[in-house]
Amino acid sequence: MSLFSTLSISGSGMSAESERLSAVASNIANANSAVGAGGQPFRAREVVFQAASLQGEGDDGDDPSTTGMSGVKVAAVVESSAPTHTVYDPTSTFADDKGYVQMPNVNPVDEMVNMISAQQDYQANLEAFNVAKTLAMRTLTI
Amino acid sequence: MAATIDTGLDFFRQVLALRAARQEILSADIANASTPGFKAIDLDFAAAMQDAMSQRRGSETAPAAPKRVWLVDDARQLPAANVTGAAAPEFVKYQVGSEVTLDGNSVDLDTEKVNAAENAVQYESAATFASQTIRMLMIAITGSGSSQSGGG
Repeated sequence: MSLFSTLSISGSGMSAESERLSAVASNIANANSAVGAGGQPFRAREVVFQAASLQGEGDDGDDPSTTGMSGVKVAAVVESSAPTHTVYDPTSTFADDKGYVQMPNVNPVDEMVNMISAQQDYQANLEAFNVAKTLAMRTLTI
Repeated sequence: MAATIDTGLDFFRQVLALRAARQEILSADIANASTPGFKAIDLDFAAAMQDAMSQRRGSETAPAAPKRVWLVDDARQLPAANVTGAAAPEFVKYQVGSEVTLDGNSVDLDTEKVNAAENAVQYESAATFASQTIRMLMIAITGSGSSQSGGG
């Protein structure tokens, strides 16, 4: 029944958006982490969304006749390629021989925008989920 | 009386199936509101409904089913099987006119929300009409409007 797959589509949207939100949270939390994994400064992470058929694999989400069922999934988490910014702080333990420290390439403005967008998309998915639930309950009372 | 008892209900069954299919499509659009390259789609409800109705009319003029016996072990006696629900791919089309963002996404969240709300109301009204039809049949059967529906 398509109302139940509607629920799972909205559910996939909500879980993808919350993953995006947690990437944002991680980026903001690490905005000043001069040392991340491997001794390098932390790099901002971004999630990449992809339309994904919930029925089976192999749907590239291009054909309208097959995308009717597509939910969304997080295809990859990529590191931002933006340059790290350099801070002059000769007293820091991580300063190089000229006194510069490489700081993370997290852009707080980008992150805030991303966060608001993720929040709105999550809410829209939740709304769609609730509507589908209401309709399914209504159908039970025909 | 020539009509079978589910004649009026068949229409609502079709409406509900198509409305549910459209709700699913709109939910998929909303879920993919941030997916790069995703193009918003929609179900052409009017065309799909018209097609379904013409199919039904076609099947009515076809040779009558041998004998209506309500057994479920024979596929020919289950007219519910030809309800075109989600399986109406030719009526699923790309939405046009909405703004395409830099990452190639054409979902307009506000439009989708409005469409989904409108579709939900249409679904509920079809469900209400179906309920009323069933109640009408119950009144015809029992001869009273009281709540002796017996699980109908």
